[in-house]
Amino acid sequence: MGTEELPEGVVQISAGATVVTVDHVSLDYYKEKEPLPVLVDVSLTAARDELVAVTGPSGCGKSTLLRIIAGLIKPTAGKVRVMDSEVTGPRSDISMVFQNFVLLPWRTALENVLFGLSSRTDLTEGQKQTKAENALEIAGLQGFESVYPGELSGGMKQRVGVARALATDPRVMLLDEPFSSLDDLTAERLRKETHTLLINPQTSVQTVILVSHNVEEIIELADKVIVLSARPAHVVGELKVDLPRPRNKQSEEFFQWVDKVYSLLS
Amino acid sequence: MALDIAASWARMILALGLSILFALAVGIWAARSRRAEAVILPLLDIFQSIPILGFFPFVIGGIYGALPNAVGANLAVIVLIFTSMSWNIAFGVYESVKAIPQDYYDLLDVAHASTWQRIRTLYIPASMSRIAYNTQISWAVGLFFLVASEIISVGSTNVPVSYGIGIAVTSFQNASPPDYPDYVLLIASIIVAVVVWRFLFLREFALWSERFKMMEEPREIHRDPIMRFYSWVNHRSISKLFLLAHDSGVTKFTSSIARFRRGLKYAVLIFLGIVFTLIAVTVWQSGTLNVSSLPSLYTLLSNEVGILYSLAVSFVRVWYVVAICIAIGLPMGVVISLNFKLYDTASPILEVISSIPAPILLPAIVLIPLIGHDSEIVAAIVIFLSVFWYIVFNVMAGVRTLPADIKDLPHVFKVSRWASWRNVYIPSALTALVTGAITAVGGAWNALIIAEYFQTSPTKAPLTQVASGIGKTITVATNKGDYLTLALAVISMTILIVTFNLTVWRRLYHRVTKRYTYNR
Repeated sequence: MGTEELPEGVVQISAGATVVTVDHVSLDYYKEKEPLPVLVDVSLTAARDELVAVTGPSGCGKSTLLRIIAGLIKPTAGKVRVMDSEVTGPRSDISMVFQNFVLLPWRTALENVLFGLSSRTDLTEGQKQTKAENALEIAGLQGFESVYPGELSGGMKQRVGVARALATDPRVMLLDEPFSSLDDLTAERLRKETHTLLINPQTSVQTVILVSHNVEEIIELADKVIVLSARPAHVVGELKVDLPRPRNKQSEEFFQWVDKVYSLLS
Repeated sequence: MALDIAASWARMILALGLSILFALAVGIWAARSRRAEAVILPLLDIFQSIPILGFFPFVIGGIYGALPNAVGANLAVIVLIFTSMSWNIAFGVYESVKAIPQDYYDLLDVAHASTWQRIRTLYIPASMSRIAYNTQISWAVGLFFLVASEIISVGSTNVPVSYGIGIAVTSFQNASPPDYPDYVLLIASIIVAVVVWRFLFLREFALWSERFKMMEEPREIHRDPIMRFYSWVNHRSISKLFLLAHDSGVTKFTSSIARFRRGLKYAVLIFLGIVFTLIAVTVWQSGTLNVSSLPSLYTLLSNEVGILYSLAVSFVRVWYVVAICIAIGLPMGVVISLNFKLYDTASPILEVISSIPAPILLPAIVLIPLIGHDSEIVAAIVIFLSVFWYIVFNVMAGVRTLPADIKDLPHVFKVSRWASWRNVYIPSALTALVTGAITAVGGAWNALIIAEYFQTSPTKAPLTQVASGIGKTITVATNKGDYLTLALAVISMTILIVTFNLTVWRRLYHRVTKRYTYNR
């Protein structure tokens, strides 16, 4: 998981340099040949060591935007770039954590993490095993390797999801409403760990893009917030959250930031 | 031809009406009386497991024996269709009445409603949507039984029913030279009739019944025929097995499990009682009972050995065809469901093909060069056409109900196609595959009645017959009036199927649902 293990061709870049660029992206769905705009001219950047949060009214297309960045959906217009290469499909330096965990119930925690590594032909089975075990340990699941997802709590399931995403040594980590299927207390704990877990020199992750409708969660976690409008979604605001970490959710400034985002949403 | 379809439809409608009345009576009784519940549910379960082969000797022998004329023949056909529809609808009524919230009972208690008022204002309306829902699929299953029993009535009675789809098929077969354009027109008309009926009646019935719903269900299920099929199969096979669950699979009914277990032995006794009474009535009707003809132990045993052999042959036949269905249907269903466009095009086409009752295709299958004269292959094709849909539709719906995220998963991690199939697609379709297979195997036993022995006239040699098989044994015994063989064959077959359900299927079902159900 250390920097020396980064996939070949990955160049270390300095803090603050742009890692992900979403460049004037639009998306239309076609319903009976009629184009139905979903995203209109959305642009954003995510820099090194930055956690960018995307929010907007429910159903506005936040998750769709995330899937475009992941290369799962092709935009109608515009481009997504990671460093200098255009995203044309799913790629190994982008990884994702899903809202509903999406673990395979018929595979153990370790096997689920290994599933994420199954396309890595450059690793031996032994190396994959070590990588998967390390990722589980980082996610706080040591000792749960051979447990099936059905026997894990929601929070632990999501930890497996995080471990699976981390194990592939991604440069870009995409989080799709990762806490919204969890109960409040569990979500709170996992949220507290998120920033230090993902953005630290121990992992390959250079930037994190989080999609969430929970404004407090966003202010707690994000360095930058992108606010989208209702459908068809376009960017209505971009805020740099410069609160010091760890952030105090009870503080006056925290509420001011939350209010700022709310005023953009309404 | 129009008359044939009209006659068949009239029989179907009468059978459906009869089934609904029966289902309401039995379903409500079971839901409202604990004692009745304990015996009725396992009994319905046993009856639901018995293929048409188990019913037709008694129905033909009993009803037609008592009324050897056109009325008797028609009644026999209607009762046979009834045996395919009623049990499942009765389960539906039972579950609906069981699921009525307590508040409604309190309401009627406050109003001092009489039993009849309760039935009219609460139980029947509460059951309506499930009845309509089950009817949509039960109709297709009933159509299979209709054609099969019309054809049987020609093969085993001297006064067969006049007019009917099955009759049209046999008269095509008996005509020389065969009238091919007429046959093609017949199949086309049946497809048109099925589709028109679906839109004019079944769909309207289902939409009308939605107003009686107490709880909201996802609308998509009602709109998409494949999803409807899936839900029907699930209700059916789960109602067949859920009550025997080790752990609380269906929490609402857990309190019924112990009662079900206790009731099972009474149900088996009652069932055997019914079988023996029916045999006695049938024998009495045919007037062949005389004490000196009672079989010796030796004849009994040697008969049973022959029956067990034919049962084993049929068992293998049922399973190898179902295995072929799985080998084709599993990958086919997964591929179709993973591609939205393909799903939208393929599902109506598959649905129309599946609506053709397989027995009417038999004369065409016999004509296929090279394989048409081989009874074993003909039998396999008939079984395949009867049950393939249970597998492919269930797999399609099973994959379809998976959240979109799990379909993204292999792409996000760039997992190879083979690894995705092995780790994601096939395991996620397994639960649906097993429930589909339970129903498919049941359907395959049903298909044996036409697949193993097909006779177009009591005076002619059978058009096709396999070397050995329980379907052939039962049909031949019925035609000959060999009641000993008949009784042994029906009882042996029922014991085999029920035992198989209670042991192998039940265990497999629990194992698969426990590990392979996708629940996040």
